[in-house]
Amino acid sequence: MSDNLKRINTKSSPGSEKNKMMVAIDTLIKKYNGQIAVSIDQLDIKQGDLIGIVGNNGAGKTTLFRLLLDLTKADHGKVFLKDKNVADSEEWKSYTAAYLDEGFLITYLTPYEYFYFVGKLHNMTKASVDEYLKQFDLFFEGALKNNKYIRDLSKGNQFKVGIAACLLQHPELLILDEPFANLDPSSQIRLMNMLKGLNEKKRMTILISSHDLNHITDLCRRILLMEKGFIIRDLQSDSETLKELEAYFKV
Amino acid sequence: MQIFIGFIMLYILANALVLGFTLGTIITRQFPGQDAIEIFCGFILYYFSFDIIMRFMLQDLPTLAVQPYLIQNIKRKTLVSFLNVRSLFTIFNLLPLVLFIPFAATNIAQQYGSIQAMLFIWSVVTLCIGNHFLVLFIKRKTFVSSWWMVGFFVLVIGFITADYADIFSMRKVSTAIFLFLLQHSWLVILALFWAFLSFFCNYFFLRRSLYLEDDAKSSGTNRISGYSWLERFGIVGDLMSVDIKMMLRNKRPGYILLLSCFFILYGFIMYKPQAIDKNEFGLIMTGAIFITGIFIVNYGQFLFAWQSAHFDGMMTTDISIKEYIKSKISLMIGICTITFLISLCYGFVSWKIIPVEMAAYLFNIGIHTVLVCLIATRNYKGLDISKKAAFNFQGVNATQWVYMLAIVLISLIFYLPFALFINVWAGILSMSFFGIIFLLLHNWWVDVIVGQFKKNKYKILSGFREK
Repeated sequence: MSDNLKRINTKSSPGSEKNKMMVAIDTLIKKYNGQIAVSIDQLDIKQGDLIGIVGNNGAGKTTLFRLLLDLTKADHGKVFLKDKNVADSEEWKSYTAAYLDEGFLITYLTPYEYFYFVGKLHNMTKASVDEYLKQFDLFFEGALKNNKYIRDLSKGNQFKVGIAACLLQHPELLILDEPFANLDPSSQIRLMNMLKGLNEKKRMTILISSHDLNHITDLCRRILLMEKGFIIRDLQSDSETLKELEAYFKV
Repeated sequence: MQIFIGFIMLYILANALVLGFTLGTIITRQFPGQDAIEIFCGFILYYFSFDIIMRFMLQDLPTLAVQPYLIQNIKRKTLVSFLNVRSLFTIFNLLPLVLFIPFAATNIAQQYGSIQAMLFIWSVVTLCIGNHFLVLFIKRKTFVSSWWMVGFFVLVIGFITADYADIFSMRKVSTAIFLFLLQHSWLVILALFWAFLSFFCNYFFLRRSLYLEDDAKSSGTNRISGYSWLERFGIVGDLMSVDIKMMLRNKRPGYILLLSCFFILYGFIMYKPQAIDKNEFGLIMTGAIFITGIFIVNYGQFLFAWQSAHFDGMMTTDISIKEYIKSKISLMIGICTITFLISLCYGFVSWKIIPVEMAAYLFNIGIHTVLVCLIATRNYKGLDISKKAAFNFQGVNATQWVYMLAIVLISLIFYLPFALFINVWAGILSMSFFGIIFLLLHNWWVDVIVGQFKKNKYKILSGFREK
């Protein structure tokens, strides 16, 4: 435990230009009705990191994501994206994409209307949106062909729409909350490969949470284990990590 | 809010009851020398027509709650019957009772005897129940869209005009039918037959289609409709086109568009020729503000709440809050302009209405829009826009009523002092003037609104997430 803390602390020293911090958290506390939902003293995430967050329900994963995205007000402390406080600027919106739940989709649009809308916000023409979406053909498996509204799609397909819309924005920081939960096995594997590729080739910083320990240890090099709002372990993933996590969750 | 709706219902019922008892007297006073019952019968068909329209718009289908029961140990038959019987408990079925029974008990019973009166009530009420199930059936089938009902409404209006102009009298038809019914009481069987027919139509339709997918397919696929002309306005235009789609594709906001159209007719009540002749513009001004600005009132009070379902998404996509607010204001100005242009037709009644409406319009787009945005930054209640529209008070609280009052009072502040101390034209001028001033200052106001919005952002977000 103390070993882990030391590791976190050493990382918090101001990064050089090369190792610019994508996310930096400073004494962040969020309470709901006096109960601590998230309490993180210090957390730094480098550009190009692929980070998994695990923890049982109520561990504070989603709340942490909401704090990162300035969707809830922190009771104390600050969140910095690229050294800018998220609560004070809107700059982060231009390089951050997130999908936490259906609340991120405009459900009365068709998927394509939604893609065009998002694309437009990032100065993409319809043609370039179409072109970009071609790579997802396999991922969607024709689910978008019949022009249904997003609200009429299954949860899994809604999720795919959400992810595609995120990637359409060419984000530098991608945040996904339990991306594997509603996907079928093939799509899960495809998504894993997609995220790996984006992280390696484009140095996209990715934060995901999941209940699937296999996926997380397979995908992420750094894993944060949360419990009751605290990050209790900060692990560099290796062959032993899965066992360690399984041992923790067995209790 | 339930209590409030309850009060409204009680009020309507009480009114109907009083009307029912005094109907005989009213008719004899309005149509002296004619048989009250004959006149009464003449209006029954009209009553049914409006009954159908009102039911279509206001009555909701009792289907949504079925899902959890489908897998429980309850017979399908029981479920269907439950659905049908439960649907009967609505004010529309109570209304004819309180309206017709007193009249039948007094007038008809005197003239035809109590048994006839009783059977008459029976047939009218069963016909109503027939209507009830007919409307349910139509709504379940969903092949009749609201626009058909608008058509039906226009048709009924047409019949009324034809009646006035003595071209064709629906009243005579109605009188003939119901007097015949009164004289041949055994025809109550026909009414009963009608009620049973529509009931069983529903019953069998429901039995056949009580599956989950039928419940879910409600919204269907769509025709892609682009609003390419909006795209020229950049991001603000895109946001507006998303908002327009929101209104066209969801029940509750769609209802607001429809209401804005209907509200233009309000002018026939508010613009009283006598008042216009005497240059008494006070009430007319208030009317004009609501006629041209009803969209702002209805849409604006839930400005952000309409998007409560995806507000998280709106706040993380790459849109600056300033552009977001601007798109909202532009949309309100746009639709307000359309209603204003249509309502200019009242200029045919009197040219004086045009400057009054102009002033009201400028007040609406200049001052009202800003006010409504400021109020919206304090609305933390989310909405479910897919739910039925009329009599839906979700998200409504006391603020909304205070706001309506405030709009009237504030408009009077710009109008009354000048109207009282100089003359009405000065009042109209001052209101237009302040409207334009505010409009020119909109950029500054948008910054104020953005500031307020940022201050309350987290409250709005968490409020919308709760639902």
